[in-house]
Amino acid sequence: MIYYYVVFFPIEAMIASQLDPKTFGSYMARGSKKGSAEQLIFAEIEPGFGDYFDWEFAKKNCVPHADGRKKHSLYLSIYRVIEHIPLVQYKNIHLVNKDGSTLPLSQEPYRDPANWDGYGLYKEHCPVHPFIASSLKPKDLADYIINDTEKKITVPAIIFSDVKRIDYSEKEKTGNIGNMFDRDLDHLLDCIDMVKNQEGKITKTIDRSFDSKFSYQIVDTGFYIAKGKSILFYPMPTREALKEIDYDWGKSANIFS
Amino acid sequence: MIGFIIIVSIGALVFAAINFYGVKKKKAGTDEMQQIASSIAEGATAFLVLEYSIIIKVVALIAVLLGVVVSVSSAFAFVLGATMSALAGWIGMNIATISNVRVSNEARLTKSLGKTLRVAFRGGSVMGLCVGGFALLGLAIVYLVFGILFKQVSPENLTFRSNWLGISDIPFTMTVSAYALGCSIIAMFNRVGGGIFTKAADMGADLVGKTEAGIPEDDPRNPATIADNVGDNVGDVAGLGSDLLESYVGSLVSAMILAAYIFFSDGDIPVSLVSKLIYVPLLVAAVGILSSMIGILFLLVKKVSSNPHRELNAATFMGAGLTIISSGLVSYFVFRTEDLSSIDFAFGALSPWVCAVLGIISGIVIGRIAEYYTSYDYKPTLKIAASSQEGAALTITEGMSVGMVSVIAPVLILGTAIIAANVTAGLYGVAMAAIGMLSFVTVTVSVDTFGPIADNAGGISEMAKLHPDVRHITDKLDAVGNTTAAIGKGFAIGSATLAALSLFSSYLYGQAGENVVHGSSMMLNMINPLTLVGALVGAALPYLFSGLLIEAVANAARKMVQEVRRQFKADPGIIQGTSLPDYKTCISISSAGALSEMRLPALISVATPLISGFLFGAEFVGGLLIGTTLSSVMLALYTANAGGAWDNAKKYVEDGHYGGKGSDAHKAAVVGDTVGDPLKDTVGPSLDILIKIMAIVSVLAVSIFSKYNVFSLLVK
Repeated sequence: MIYYYVVFFPIEAMIASQLDPKTFGSYMARGSKKGSAEQLIFAEIEPGFGDYFDWEFAKKNCVPHADGRKKHSLYLSIYRVIEHIPLVQYKNIHLVNKDGSTLPLSQEPYRDPANWDGYGLYKEHCPVHPFIASSLKPKDLADYIINDTEKKITVPAIIFSDVKRIDYSEKEKTGNIGNMFDRDLDHLLDCIDMVKNQEGKITKTIDRSFDSKFSYQIVDTGFYIAKGKSILFYPMPTREALKEIDYDWGKSANIFS
Repeated sequence: MIGFIIIVSIGALVFAAINFYGVKKKKAGTDEMQQIASSIAEGATAFLVLEYSIIIKVVALIAVLLGVVVSVSSAFAFVLGATMSALAGWIGMNIATISNVRVSNEARLTKSLGKTLRVAFRGGSVMGLCVGGFALLGLAIVYLVFGILFKQVSPENLTFRSNWLGISDIPFTMTVSAYALGCSIIAMFNRVGGGIFTKAADMGADLVGKTEAGIPEDDPRNPATIADNVGDNVGDVAGLGSDLLESYVGSLVSAMILAAYIFFSDGDIPVSLVSKLIYVPLLVAAVGILSSMIGILFLLVKKVSSNPHRELNAATFMGAGLTIISSGLVSYFVFRTEDLSSIDFAFGALSPWVCAVLGIISGIVIGRIAEYYTSYDYKPTLKIAASSQEGAALTITEGMSVGMVSVIAPVLILGTAIIAANVTAGLYGVAMAAIGMLSFVTVTVSVDTFGPIADNAGGISEMAKLHPDVRHITDKLDAVGNTTAAIGKGFAIGSATLAALSLFSSYLYGQAGENVVHGSSMMLNMINPLTLVGALVGAALPYLFSGLLIEAVANAARKMVQEVRRQFKADPGIIQGTSLPDYKTCISISSAGALSEMRLPALISVATPLISGFLFGAEFVGGLLIGTTLSSVMLALYTANAGGAWDNAKKYVEDGHYGGKGSDAHKAAVVGDTVGDPLKDTVGPSLDILIKIMAIVSVLAVSIFSKYNVFSLLVK
């Protein structure tokens, strides 16, 4: 059996593999021999659409090794991948920790974030990676990024997550959020102030990359995959739910201490 | 009287046996849990077997030396002391490895914090009862056999006798000192070896597993995780138990020796009084054990609340409170007919009791001070956590500051207790204060052993992937165990100091020898260049000793890190969870590392007083002991409290403060904790042993090197 995965982070790639999602996540995070330890976000997709990806090449080459071992990965494409994938092809997305443990997230109908406070913080994962503040809710933000052609910069598709907001005046009782707010808090507050109060300022880049600081601990409502006018929503489980779903993944992700 | 003491000792051991089988008959959980527990137990047993096989040779060698140079009775007492201490360590470690999985399973079956706490405490109580029971039983046997049957405590024998080498000593003082030395030798191996083992495994597991591979604590994919759990048993159970057993015996023995010297130096003292001064320490110890047994029983039968710390405190305070009452009765009824003004006891029959109470209170206060400086419920540790936001350098700096500041308060408490005890009952009073502090050792060791059992139970719950609610229970008990460990360390240092100072008084009597006149010859001349230089060297010695221990941990941890990296690289299936790591190799690395790396520090602690004594004589060694004791106390308090504070500052951050896990503050706090680990768990506890073993070796050998030393030969 061949699985097709689109990796969003840390690279953008379409990969065919004989490994199931859990094993694939572990393999990609840890490697087979090189001993790497990387976070990874990917989605499984339903193959066979369009002609951008060479499905026949995949079927022909994604076969077991001579010694019977499964084929780990066959890269079908890198760079500008997600813009060629219709949203209907997406199945679960998978969040992989440094230690290779993998948590699947399922789609649910889109809903606005709870406790909206006039602004959102968003981490874009693919195809660009900035950390931004915006006065828009996720669906509106995706529409703005993809379809607002009045501004010069758009992308054909985007994957992002919204990020927890905390009481910035109370640095001691932050909860387990990693190193998100360790540095440049003043700058963050300036950015929030701009999108909240400055006329016409819809988004503001807080950090151009932020990849090294990103951790699943800071994901608030969930992940969003948007293309054209549509958006997919993958809610992040609450702490209580995660405790029941996969406590060990939560420990590896530093969500539980 | 001796019958009562023996009955109480045996009663403690019977109670230990009941608790042992009470825990053992509980269900051990799923196959996976049993498999993990069995790996831990096998590793711990393998290490202790290896360690004890070395100890047997050392004990045999020393026994022969004592038999030839001192006396046959000393050799027997020495072997008995070593046997009693080794037995306590062995049984304690065994019950810890039996209890851990049953504690985890109790949490799994009942989901009740109180019931789980009770199983963990019942397991810990076996070690506590064995420490009290074996220590006192052995000493009672020595007293009965050599003191009474061989008449070493008869007035005519409480005098200096020369052996075939022309060495003069009071036979009974040598016999009981040898018993204490037997306990010290085991304590040294268990504490130093266990300390190196546990930290090498812990650091190896953390540095690669957690930091590099990103896997959580106690994850079964980590090859060093079983070794880490084994380390808890050999270091924190067997090591701590032997350490406190040694202090306990040291304090009892020093009081008995002082009583013998008081009699020799002051011929006007009635024989009946001397006899009482010799056996009262044993009686106080016996009622202390009895009180502790009631405290333990209280916790085992009452309905346990969901506040484990309060429950453990209740058992401790009950043990301490009953000891205060019962030792008061002992003191009054034993001495009420004696005229104690002749030996300057300020409060008559109650003088020994007053001193014991001073010891008990100061022990409790020192424990609370340790808690203040190391718990994140208080400012010092919170300050370290806050400083972690600014990076590792400030975490280290702040922790060092807390550690250094923390030294003064317990020292002032100890100083006050020593002066007050001395005013109340002279040097004998100081020894009684040490006995008081350790009189409820049975319950304190029970509480201390609860910690590593809960820690192991948490590890098993994690490794067996039990339900989060179960892990929450064992984690909560583990957190309480961390606090009790910090308190226990402060207590161990305080008691070791008093025991060492009491032994030092005995040393001064031994140094004065047959010329001793009560009160007048008991002087250490600090302006004597030999004494001064001895003190200087002694003050430097703990730094050398500590440096070697830290190097030992680093060497063993380095090998562990390399092995864990090798395993991860050689078999990716380990991290994917499809194949099992090679736990045994990691256990072997820690075992071999601990046993080879401990040789030099161990040799230094035993040989330094002997070599310097035979080179420069008793004045030099007197200075050496004072220098080492003072320097060690400061260093031990500093390392224990700084290490404990760093540890809990990290835990505070991990509980969701300053960004929690994964934050920059957490990275800095982890550095602080890693630096503090060998300080608090290897160096600090080993310094307790250093001062006691040097003191007891010196007490035993002073009569020899007073007579034969190179310096006096050359000068004369």
